[in-house]
Formats: sequence, structure tokens, C-alpha cells
Amino acid sequence: MNMFSSLMLASLSVLTLPIMSSILNTHKNSTYPHHVKNIISYAFITSLIPTMMFIHSGQETIISNWHWMTIQTLKLSLSFKLDYFSMIFVPVALFVTWSIMEFSLWYMHSDPYITRFFKYLLTFLITMMILVTANNLFQLFIGWEGVGIMSFLLIGWWYGRTDANTAALQAILYNRIGDIGFIMAMAWFLFNANTWDLQQIFMLDPNLTNLPLLGLLLAATGKSAQFGLHPWLPSAMEGPTPVSALLHSSTMVVAGVFLLIRFHPLMENNKTIQSLTLCLGAITTLFTAICALTQNDIKKIIAFSTSSQLGLMIVTIGINQPYLAFLHICTHAFFKAMLFMCSGSIIHSLNDEQDIRKMGGLFNAMPFTTTSLIIGSLALTGMPFLTGFYSKDLIIETANTSYTNAWALLMTLIATSLTAVYSTRIIFFALLGQPRFLPLTTINENNPFLINSIKRLLIGSIFAGFFISNNIYPTTIPEMTMPIYMKLTALTVTILGFTLALELSLITQNLKLEHPTNMFKFSNLLGYYPTIMHRLPPLASLSMGQKSASLLLDSIWLENILPKSISQFQMKTSILISTQKGQIKLYFLSFLITLTLSMLLFNLHE
Amino acid sequence: MSLAHINIFLAFTVSLVGLLMYRSHLMSSLLCLEGMMLSLFVMATMVVLNTHFTLASMMPIILLVFAACERALGLSLLVMVSNTYGVDHVQNLNLLQC
Repeated sequence: MNMFSSLMLASLSVLTLPIMSSILNTHKNSTYPHHVKNIISYAFITSLIPTMMFIHSGQETIISNWHWMTIQTLKLSLSFKLDYFSMIFVPVALFVTWSIMEFSLWYMHSDPYITRFFKYLLTFLITMMILVTANNLFQLFIGWEGVGIMSFLLIGWWYGRTDANTAALQAILYNRIGDIGFIMAMAWFLFNANTWDLQQIFMLDPNLTNLPLLGLLLAATGKSAQFGLHPWLPSAMEGPTPVSALLHSSTMVVAGVFLLIRFHPLMENNKTIQSLTLCLGAITTLFTAICALTQNDIKKIIAFSTSSQLGLMIVTIGINQPYLAFLHICTHAFFKAMLFMCSGSIIHSLNDEQDIRKMGGLFNAMPFTTTSLIIGSLALTGMPFLTGFYSKDLIIETANTSYTNAWALLMTLIATSLTAVYSTRIIFFALLGQPRFLPLTTINENNPFLINSIKRLLIGSIFAGFFISNNIYPTTIPEMTMPIYMKLTALTVTILGFTLALELSLITQNLKLEHPTNMFKFSNLLGYYPTIMHRLPPLASLSMGQKSASLLLDSIWLENILPKSISQFQMKTSILISTQKGQIKLYFLSFLITLTLSMLLFNLHE
Repeated sequence: MSLAHINIFLAFTVSLVGLLMYRSHLMSSLLCLEGMMLSLFVMATMVVLNTHFTLASMMPIILLVFAACERALGLSLLVMVSNTYGVDHVQNLNLLQC
């Protein structure tokens, strides 16, 4: 009898303590944020123990606590599934959240509602934990909706700003469309497998799983910002940088990918859905990488980078490698959160300047941030033996050597090289060259909160890939033998992207500004997707609604067809055929004359 | 036909002509209608009494009753016209004109 389940439950429940302390009003303290950060670090350390036990023994646990209700034949209970995926994700998520909390102690220092901010972040973390440890679809849905709500509240943190409110609403709407797919999948499972428990679904192994898997794919499209439901992710950068770092890079947006990973036993057998996933991921990764090339807001570039990496994860699921996708989720969390934190440091230092055309020359002014930004970008592009290499290179190798769609593979490779291009762009514009910001600067990165948090994630970005890869048990066998050109594909395209971007940036630095070409406009305006989709379908459906409901039904059928038409017809015809002119005396006179004439005729007729 | 009958018949004819030919007041045509009614009543009573047709002596009474109804109708119409226009000139009744 070991302490596996107790420690895991302890680490999860200790997270809820600061929320419940609002009953005691300790949340009005100014040290509340410090309490929250400390509690998350304790939860992290506590969760390391069950994880190490899991790595050592491979023991998976399912904790079924409380039987909530039984609806006819469906039993709903509170159950936690502590298997490979949740056991490794929980410490990673807690570690990243710990660093982000410490970072927001510095970033949101001057915000009057900082305690509420921390409470929101903590609630988000709790719902994310519910999501990853859920054993039945109902609990997963609770976590799913919870992260959606917290995302809304956090994106619209500065609610006085119209763009922030619009972005928060956009996030909710796009997520909702994905939720339709989720609910469809839940309904299908309820009807065909009579359960929402993952164990029973996998055991029954239903045959025609096209419909629920399509629903889950739609849910992942909505939550993980795949092509079609992607505009909310760049707009979500209206929220504060810690929110972008936590939600929209490491944790929330991977919820969609996580859902698909959870259902990998069903997806293994369904080739159609795998092809769909592959193509969707490939389109997403290429499209968002193209959009990232010409953006001018540093946070938007990193947001598109996140979207591109999410597409890569979906591609990995599409080639039937869920464990690799999961590895990429864990490693991606480290360097993406760190990239966001570095950009937050830059933004705050330049007095809230987010446009990279107005930054420059920070290489010497902010050495620590520069270091971590460069290391983060290198890890992102998959530089050998940094964190990203262990997951990204494996993905590209596996995709190259598997029997898959060549077009999707080509797009993924192009997107990989574009990753290097826009990373170089960020580094070139933000760090190199001469300063382009105002002379009166407030550049200061000497705060221990900032330095410690970024340092922690920096060490994670460098070593975490190695560490995790060497300690997990073998899941799917990676391809060991391949031609040398295939082995070096990822590296080659990345180096190609780097050199191309650097050359172009240096050459075009002093050229005259040309009018933007069509390709530039396509990339800068996000492929015209938001412009079209946010205006045309609402206009079409609203005008159709107006025409059919109000004009057709009300005005025509109810008003015009019978009442008004009868009255008009009567008036017209009565005018037409009426000879009456109201001349009563004339009528009486004619009556008298007729009478007299007829009398005479009848009496004098022989 | 005896002279009395011709006399009453003439009264009826004069009222008929007066009903159909008048200048502007609706009231005058209603009065002539009453005159017609009166002469009819007298004619009927005379014929019934002269021929001792006792069974038909109900007829003038019933005629009187119906004439009363018709009088009421006619007067109410007159009142309606007078409400709208103040006077009952017949040239006011031209709403159906186009």
C-alpha cells in the first residue's frame, strides 16, 4: 500500500486552499499572491513524488471517489485517472504555472486587483487539472468549460478596452463551436456505449467511430485554434502577458490536443479520422506560420507560433503517434511560456511597447532577457539537444518515414522552416541593431521575481527534453534507421530558414519602403480569414433571418396576403365598376319616369 | 272606380311624386313616405269596409305597425346624416364618389 493516490490527491486539493480562504477574508491581504505562488510550488513538489513512483514502477491508478448520481443506466461519479499522460503533465503544468505566478508578481505589481488576478489564475489551474485527470467525459467537460470561462475572464482583464472585450467574446464563441462537437461525441457515447467512462469506451471498442471522433476533432479545432476556428488565439493576446503565457501557450490550448490523445485507442483504428487530423494540422501549421511572418506585434508572432506548434501536434496525432504529441506538449510548455515571459519583460521595460518596429538594440541593454529569448527561440526551432529537439525532431523523422500524405508532410516541413524565419525576425527586430524606441527608457530587469522565474524556465528549456525523454518508459518505438538525408531534414530546413531570414533582414534593412505586395497583405491580414468570416456569415444569416422571419412571414403572409389584399382589391374594383356618384335625386327621378312610362305602356296597350 | 277611390289614389300618386322628386332635404322625402303610407291605409280601410271583407280587416293595422318600424329606421338614418353634416342636405351623401 503506497502513498501514490493520497499524495496525488493531496497535491491537487492543496491547490484549492487559497480559493476557499476567501471565506476567511485572507484574500484581502497584500501577501495573498505570495501565498498562492508558494502553494503552487508546494503542490509541484508534492506531485513530483507520485510522478517518480510512476516512472519507477509504471503503476497507473484510477481513483473513484464519490458516486454522484445514476441516471437510469448511466453512473456518474467523481473519478481521477492517473495514468502516463496525467502523471507527467501535472508536474510540468505546475512547474510552468509556478514560474508564471512568480513572473506576474513582477508584471502585475502595480495592478490594484492583483489578488483577483491570482485567484483567477489559480481557478484556471484547478480546472485544467480537473481536465487532465478526468476519467469520464463529464468531468472532462467540467474542466473544459472551466478553462473556457477563465480564459474569457482573463482575456478581458482590462475590460475598459473594447478590443479586449471583443477578443474575450471571440474566444468564447469559437470555443463554443468546438463544444458542439464535444457534446455530439458525448451523446454518441451515451447512446452507443452507454457510458461516459473512458475505460468502458475503450473496452467496448465500438465499430463505426466516425461520428464521435469527428465531434472530438471539432472540439479540438475550437479549443486548440486549428484552421477554421483559429482567429481567437491571436486576438487573445489582448490579455496580460502572464495570461498569454499560461493559457494560450502551455495549458489551455493543449486541452484540445490532450483530448485527442486521450482517445488514441479509438483513433488507431480509424484511418479516415487520422487523415482528416493530419490534413487539418498541416493546413493549420502552414497557414499560421505564414501569418506570423509579417506581424508587427511581438505577442501576436508568438501566438501564431503557438498555433503553428499546435498544428504540429495535431499532425503527430494524425500519423498515429499520440505519445510523441504528448511529449511535444510537455516540452513546448517550457519554451513557449519562457518566450512569452521574455516578451513581457521587453514590453514592460519599453513602457508597454509591443510593436517590434519600435524595438531594437536590446542586446546590450537587457542581457538576461536577450539570452533567454535566443535560447527559447533555438529550443522552439528544434536546435539539436535543446528541449524542442527531443520532441520536434522525432516528429519530423517519424512523419518522414511513415506511410502518410506527402502533401501534408511537405507543408509541415515548410512550416518548420518558417518557424526559424519568424524566430529570426523576432530576434532581429527586437534585439539587434540600433535602438528604435524613445530615448527616455525605463529598462530594468533586475527584479528577482523576473530573473528567478525566467531562470527556472530557462533551465527547463535546456534540460527538460533530455530529462523527460530519458525517464519515461518506451511507448511507441521510434524509427531507428533511415537515410541520412531524412535524418537531417528538420535540421536542414531550419538552418535554411535561419540563413534566409537573416540574409533578407540584413539586405532589406536600408531599402526604400515599397507598397505592400499582395502576398504581404495576405500574410499581414491573417489570410483575410477574420475579415471575411467575421462579417460575411453574420450578415448573411442575419439578413436571411430578417427576410424570412420578418419580411416573409410577418409582413407578407400575415399582413398582406389576406387583409390588405382584400381591402385593396375591393377598393379598386368598386372604383372600376361603380357607376354611383351619390346622386340620389337623379336616381329617384329616373325611378319616377320609369314608373310613369311603364304605367302608360301597360294601360294604353291594346 | 268610384270618385272616393280615385281621390285617395290621387293622394297616393302625389305623395309618390313628392318622394321621388325633391330638392335637397331628406326630411321631405321621408314626409312624403308617410303620406304614401297614410293614403294606403285609408284606401285599404275603405275597400275592406265597403265590401264587408271582415277577415281582411287586420291588414290596415298590420300595415300601420310595419310603417312605424320603417319610420323609425328612416328617422335614424336621418339622424346619422345630421350628426355628420349638421343639415340633411342630400348632396352631402357623396362619399361613394370617386
